[in-house]
Amino acid sequence: MDVFNFLGRTREARLKLEQHRQRLYRIAYAWTHNAALADDLVQETLAKALKKSGQLRDPNAGDAWLYSILANCYHDHFRRLRSAEEIDENTLTHESTPEKESSEQEIVLKVRAAIARLAEGQRQVVTLVDIQGLSYLEVAQILNVPIGTVMSRLCRARYALKDLLGELAPKLAAEETKIRRIK
Amino acid sequence: MNKEQKFSEEFINAFVDDELTPDEKAQAYARLGDDETLNRQVCELRKVRDLVGLAYRNVPAPACGTSAVATGRKCSTAIAAGLALVVGGLGGWFLNPASRAPDNAAIAQASPAAEDPAKVLFHVSEGSPEHLKTVLDEVENLMKFYRQTNQKARVEVITNGGGLSLLMAGISPYADRIQRMQKEYHNLTFVACQNTIERIQQELGLQAKLLPGVVIIDSGVAQIMRRQNQGWAYIQV
Repeated sequence: MDVFNFLGRTREARLKLEQHRQRLYRIAYAWTHNAALADDLVQETLAKALKKSGQLRDPNAGDAWLYSILANCYHDHFRRLRSAEEIDENTLTHESTPEKESSEQEIVLKVRAAIARLAEGQRQVVTLVDIQGLSYLEVAQILNVPIGTVMSRLCRARYALKDLLGELAPKLAAEETKIRRIK
Repeated sequence: MNKEQKFSEEFINAFVDDELTPDEKAQAYARLGDDETLNRQVCELRKVRDLVGLAYRNVPAPACGTSAVATGRKCSTAIAAGLALVVGGLGGWFLNPASRAPDNAAIAQASPAAEDPAKVLFHVSEGSPEHLKTVLDEVENLMKFYRQTNQKARVEVITNGGGLSLLMAGISPYADRIQRMQKEYHNLTFVACQNTIERIQQELGLQAKLLPGVVIIDSGVAQIMRRQNQGWAYIQV
């Protein structure tokens, strides 16, 4: 019995898990657009991960493993509430607050509003790939779907976003034209 | 794939995400040279991808009600942690019937007095005897300081991971000293992490007995965040 070694190991696992908090939170926020809920989901994810960390043999699988726990927590939450759409609607009204008016912030809010309008599966895939930079294979494992589904959801999500964000393009183009005229 | 065949949308996305095999990538690059539409498509997809990344580069910190808290935990987590404190405490009661929390240990939710006491938490997560001695020295110096200067104070020593060995009966090298400090300073609480206790039980099959008067909470990390949210000063030793 080596209590000291064991406790040292536990601490290491806990520290590693805590390092993931911010990344998990970003994804949870992108899925829910609700800071409080995202925080709860991450807390639940880390607690579950900590409980199960003895089961994880391959340290490189850590990221995907944590995101799959997060995905399960997310689904459990909405299974309990059955109100995924409400959250999205609330977010849209909540995020368009007038006090945030810088143009960068405006774009950020538009993109978030567009993401909020995507179907849940598409939103999960596009955020895991575009925010977290995970591979298609990792996303397939996390969400427990075939890789073909990941590809088609991502594809639909990106084209939907392109359409939803369409109004950003003319604005930017107009600004460019102005600059040319001054020259 | 010959020149007339169009790439599927999935294929173009996979190109943007660098998910193609070298051969497929070469095909795509060859086509990009003279296909204006494909060029534009790739460009637009990259733009969408970058915008999504940009939109979540800075996400709002978890807030408490309507007022945002910069780094703290939000209310419901704090409440959950509070409940867990009670549950954890009860768990600890069963784990070690000899454990009895001092009156001021339930404290945790005490409402702020007219004259706010200084609130300090020490976080101990390493368990070497030398390290633990340093911890106790620092805590004791601080307690003496508050007593000498007649200041109200509440001090909590939160242990998790290796730090739990400070509070384990039969393992802690400083059990007597801790008991003396508990008697001497009623505003000092020693706290153990339930998660660590459970892990010791699960993985080593060892019933973790704690020193008398130690309070158990569900998670050391959750307790620390809750305390920080309540305005406690955090000192990691």
